[in-house]
Amino acid sequence: MSEAITQAALLSLVDDWISGGRTVSGPSFVKEGLLLYEDLQNAGQLALGKVIRPADSIKKYFLPRHEELYRYTFAGQNTCLENIDLVPVERVIVGARPCDAAALPVLDKVFNWDYVDEFYTRRRDATTVVTIACTLWDDQCFCTSVGLGPAVEKGSDVLLLPLAEGYEVRCLTEKGQRLFAGKTTPSETMAAAPTGPERKFDTKEIDALLHGDYENPVWRDIALRCLGCGSCAFTCPTCHCFDITDEGNASGGCRVKNWDCCQFNMFTMHASGHNPRSNQAQRQRQRIQHKFRIYPDKFGEVLCTGCGNCTRNCPVSLGVLTTMEALASSDAGRDATENAASLKG
Amino acid sequence: MNNIYMPELMKVIGVKQHTADVKSVKIRFQDPATTDAFSFRVGQFGMFSAFGSGESTFNICSSSNWKDHIEFCFRKTGMVTESLWRIEEGDSIGFRGPYGNSYPMEDWEGRNLIFIGGGIAMPPIRCAIWYALENRAKYGDITIVYGARTAADFVFADELDQWAQAERTRVVRCVDPGGETPDWNYEVGLIPHVIERAAIPAENSIALVVGPPIMIKFTLPVLDKMGLGTKDIYTSLENRMKCGVGKCGRCNCGPVYVCKEGPIFTLEQLHRLPLDY
Ligand code: SF4
Ligand code: SF4
Ligand code: FES
Repeated sequence: MSEAITQAALLSLVDDWISGGRTVSGPSFVKEGLLLYEDLQNAGQLALGKVIRPADSIKKYFLPRHEELYRYTFAGQNTCLENIDLVPVERVIVGARPCDAAALPVLDKVFNWDYVDEFYTRRRDATTVVTIACTLWDDQCFCTSVGLGPAVEKGSDVLLLPLAEGYEVRCLTEKGQRLFAGKTTPSETMAAAPTGPERKFDTKEIDALLHGDYENPVWRDIALRCLGCGSCAFTCPTCHCFDITDEGNASGGCRVKNWDCCQFNMFTMHASGHNPRSNQAQRQRQRIQHKFRIYPDKFGEVLCTGCGNCTRNCPVSLGVLTTMEALASSDAGRDATENAASLKG
Repeated sequence: MNNIYMPELMKVIGVKQHTADVKSVKIRFQDPATTDAFSFRVGQFGMFSAFGSGESTFNICSSSNWKDHIEFCFRKTGMVTESLWRIEEGDSIGFRGPYGNSYPMEDWEGRNLIFIGGGIAMPPIRCAIWYALENRAKYGDITIVYGARTAADFVFADELDQWAQAERTRVVRCVDPGGETPDWNYEVGLIPHVIERAAIPAENSIALVVGPPIMIKFTLPVLDKMGLGTKDIYTSLENRMKCGVGKCGRCNCGPVYVCKEGPIFTLEQLHRLPLDY
């Protein structure tokens, strides 16, 4: 026995949420061929079915591209600081992909690690994630290689599984239950478990490679192509790096957080000009090391949900999957010192 | 809202220029209650704000025994430090911290201490020197080796004279060849050579080495030759930081977040890390 909702009932429910004052966001075409998560005016703007996934991710609803941390005002020699009391909008994300939702528990660890970042946690508390399981995937999808899949529940408040007609509704949290209470009907049909994209690499093997040969020349080969544009990180559901800067004028301004990316030269540049990651090979290595070694060593899982956005959005088709293939086929038995010299050159 | 990025307002109570481009600043919490509640351990760092320009990471270079103020020291090299260069007594700046780990001053009790600093790297050593001198009975011999490019590049030069007068304390100062003035009475040479010449006893010693990566690289083999083990050699890393609290993602050296697990590492720990520093 399960609960179900028809497509029409779902869409009218979405319209109810909107008219009830909630902000509702979901995959929507902003122009032909460009699907993004967008705030919806009505349920008709939702793009459901027949599309793989948006070019961006839902992380922007928790870690916005740009956000104010506090304000400062100058008064002669004195400065006044004004804290921000963030009251985030009550948001429902509908039609999130499982690989987007699964990134949230991963990000939770970063933003609650020792110091709690309330800019993140308050938005997290105010947001309900209604995910739709995938029935379509492309060559870039590899969720099944990182222990996830097209119907995983991780990070979702509600998981909708497409049926021949409508959806099976699985409310996973109280927040999710509140949204769907009384809106579903009992049903005999259970959604068939989707098989998902074939497994493309084994994280255990990758882990061994990343713990072993730090100076693998594969990084240099990859870096020759990389433009250092940052698209991979900005469209990644799990990348969370940011910069902190000031924006203001002679009378005051605000301190802000902006998205940043380890593929930029300035990311690690010291004031002295010394840069520990001074070439693109070291920066490409950092990206993969962080996702498949550094984060896992700290938090026990990989910093990647297999969405494939990095490769889809990369102007030169790099990204995690491409790198994994290159790494797996790289020759592991070289002279490490010889390679060390080449990578630092 | 508890905002981890929100600094405390500090009043500047003193500014001192050390070289053509290095100054140190004394600051005090504007709110006296915060002064009473605040404590740190030598070796920890803070994020210092020049509002309108941004934040920079500096070691807190005063001793943790000085309760009424803290100090930091910087070189004028970028936007934030250009602004800090213009601050005067009475101005307000921001401070977040203390962050990171600290020198294991308790573990060092009973040991001889060798402090080696190059260039602007003196501040992160200065806090430990004062701390050790203020607890003089707890430590063995203290040797301070401080090298700068020229005779005009010493930071806290007046304090070097004070340290030289402390009991069982030796100060070795050197300038790079060509950096001496006619009345330079001290050593000439690069730090690694000067250390070799100085014949510092290594037995029961720990060494704290801070300086440009190139200086550290050439100093380590000398310490090794003297017989110091990799567990007894410490340094403080200076990776670029923004948040200081393990969120912004840029300070890592391989698997280690320098802002959280550092900035102080033993050479033994560094050997296990990739060369991202
Ligand atoms: S991969 Fe790079 S941009 Fe993404 S979280 Fe890691 S360090 Fe930051
Ligand atoms: S999207 Fe591609 S080219 Fe751009 S930084 Fe990432 S890997 Fe490099
Ligand atoms: S300085 Fe931001 S993570 Fe370390």
